[in-house]
Amino acid sequence: MNSPAQQGHHIVKAFSEELEQLSAAVATMGGLAESLISDAIDAIVTRDSDLALDVVERDKRIDALQRDIERQIIRLLALRQPLAWDLRVCIAALKITADLERIGDLAKNIARRTRALNEAEPLPLAKSVERMGRLVQGHLHEVLDAYVSGEVAGAVGVWERDDDVDEHYNALFRELLTCMAGDAQLIGPGTHLLFIAKNLERVGDHATNIAELVHYAVTGTELLAERPKGAFPDGPAS
Amino acid sequence: MANPANNSWTRRTPDRPRRRDIVITALLGLVVLFVLLASGTLDPSAWIAASLAFAALAFIYFLTAVTSVAPAQAAQSTVAPRPSEAESATAMLEKIVVPVLLIGPGGRIERANPAARAFLALGAEGGLLSTSLRQPRVLEAVSAALRGEPGSIVEYASIAPIESHVRAFVEPIRMPVAGPMPWRAMLVLADETSSKRAERMRADFLANASHELRTPLASLSGFIDTLRGPARDDEEARDRFLGIMREQTDRMRRLIDDLLSLSRVEMNEHMPPAGEADLCAIVRDVTDSLKPMAAVRSITLDLSITGDSALITGDRDQIYEVVENLIENAIKYSPDGARVHVTALGGCPRDDAEHPADRIAPESARLVLAGPPFDARQRYGVLRVRDHGGGIERRYLPRLSERFFRVDGQKSGPAAGTGLGLAIVKHIITRHRGGFAVESAPGSGSVFSVFLPQPALRPAQTVQAEPVTAGVATE
Repeated sequence: MNSPAQQGHHIVKAFSEELEQLSAAVATMGGLAESLISDAIDAIVTRDSDLALDVVERDKRIDALQRDIERQIIRLLALRQPLAWDLRVCIAALKITADLERIGDLAKNIARRTRALNEAEPLPLAKSVERMGRLVQGHLHEVLDAYVSGEVAGAVGVWERDDDVDEHYNALFRELLTCMAGDAQLIGPGTHLLFIAKNLERVGDHATNIAELVHYAVTGTELLAERPKGAFPDGPAS
Repeated sequence: MANPANNSWTRRTPDRPRRRDIVITALLGLVVLFVLLASGTLDPSAWIAASLAFAALAFIYFLTAVTSVAPAQAAQSTVAPRPSEAESATAMLEKIVVPVLLIGPGGRIERANPAARAFLALGAEGGLLSTSLRQPRVLEAVSAALRGEPGSIVEYASIAPIESHVRAFVEPIRMPVAGPMPWRAMLVLADETSSKRAERMRADFLANASHELRTPLASLSGFIDTLRGPARDDEEARDRFLGIMREQTDRMRRLIDDLLSLSRVEMNEHMPPAGEADLCAIVRDVTDSLKPMAAVRSITLDLSITGDSALITGDRDQIYEVVENLIENAIKYSPDGARVHVTALGGCPRDDAEHPADRIAPESARLVLAGPPFDARQRYGVLRVRDHGGGIERRYLPRLSERFFRVDGQKSGPAAGTGLGLAIVKHIITRHRGGFAVESAPGSGSVFSVFLPQPALRPAQTVQAEPVTAGVATE
């Protein structure tokens, strides 16, 4: 038999290992979501229908991973009854996986539109969609880095820069409308691009959500002091 | 680093009889024999035989003492005749520039050479691979290798902080360890960004050059045909046409210059610059050289530089190109007689660097065209160029740094740019891990801001970010 002290040590170690495994699993899921977004954009840009099908297929793995992680967290909550930091980490992980799962769905939705886009002539605005996609992908990457490293500054940086994504979306929206008004042939593919842009904008919102959760997990306070400014400013930035 | 293998050499050899001890023992034996002889209990022949046997024994003893001491002395003078295989393998791994990792059961990093630590930004402790490298395909290959399945090669691309392409080699290794999990996975990462980039650059360059040069070329050949045919003897038309042709060839030359410059910049984009340059000095030089161009259209260049110098990490020539491009643009798109304000300052945190403190108009639009990942501790040198031209419509802002993009209405005329200037600026800034932002309002003009990281002159490591380790456990 171990002494009580040794036993206590053993329990702590197992628990911290479980927490480490948990954040590794969330990071893995994040990596999967990142790759789905990246491949979905690639599929649009390179007009690659096979890659798009692959994205749709791989979204199932994200869903499976989410169920796994959820089960893991519920087990942790039930058996370890964590408090303070540990509890926040568990709750944040639970919510982050939900966001990541949504991101996977949005990537799938984007990929599904590839085939329809490929049936039409290439649109000049595909480049703008790509630029917006890369921006969103960069935000997602940064916020996951912040999650893994626990650097709140990185998360806050992403959170503050969400209005850049909105700005891109608004600009693309107006350009697409002008485009479609000028040529009725473009209404079909233009609408698809519009939905893709909207989906990307939603991915950006989820990245912002994750940033808030990272902030909450690390500091215990909510990031509500100053919301990111909307597309239309109401005063000089401080 | 203490190497356990060295210990066997430094440890003293176990106690051996020394020469002094042997002599003392022998003398003691002789004394005993003499005493026995003197007391008459031993006859002389037995005494001689005993002495001889004794001397022989002492001699053999002496010999063993001499031979056993020798190797220990030799070992102390030189550490080892040659390093052991394990030692040399470790030393080589430490020095090799290719990231190499050994992954243990559960995906835990067991060993990583310094190159791998730098490449994946690993901490002192290895941790789990999936937290450092979020590439699903690589992780899959690694877990397959950990089950003992044959190795594989996986390619992946990552876009942040800078676009890079990596080929990952995964090989299973069976270790002579006890337990149910003898398999380890070796992960070798090869950075292929350069070759991928070169490949794409070449394709892009050809496509762009052939597409963009076609228009001026078509107009040139049209004029040549006209001059050879209907306008052969029309002196007035000939002069006019030759003027236009001159303009078109100038434009083609500018286009080729810009294209070459752009592909040069793009080629090196993934390699951060090493030198240092003074942003303020560069801004002064550029404004001096552009004053004549501004004077032609009676445009005033207002220069306000805060502080004597703002040292930044960067390639002076490229930064010069950035500053020149931005100020030249401002002059080009300003009405005659307007003012162009150029501001340079150093020591700005990220939030203040992106945009000026005050908006140029209440309804102005702001957008960051390129920005590095957020780093609260980094300070930036900032350049802002403010013009009072027509401004740019909000919906065009994201496309400003797109190559060949020109806002409607700027597509023709003698001042028409190549549409590559801001693309070049953006790529140079990205290479420098800096940022590029624009604020504009139709009717009020625009502000272009560029910020570049300054070398670490931080006051002795400010607040360290909270380390994330699984916190103090609950009872």
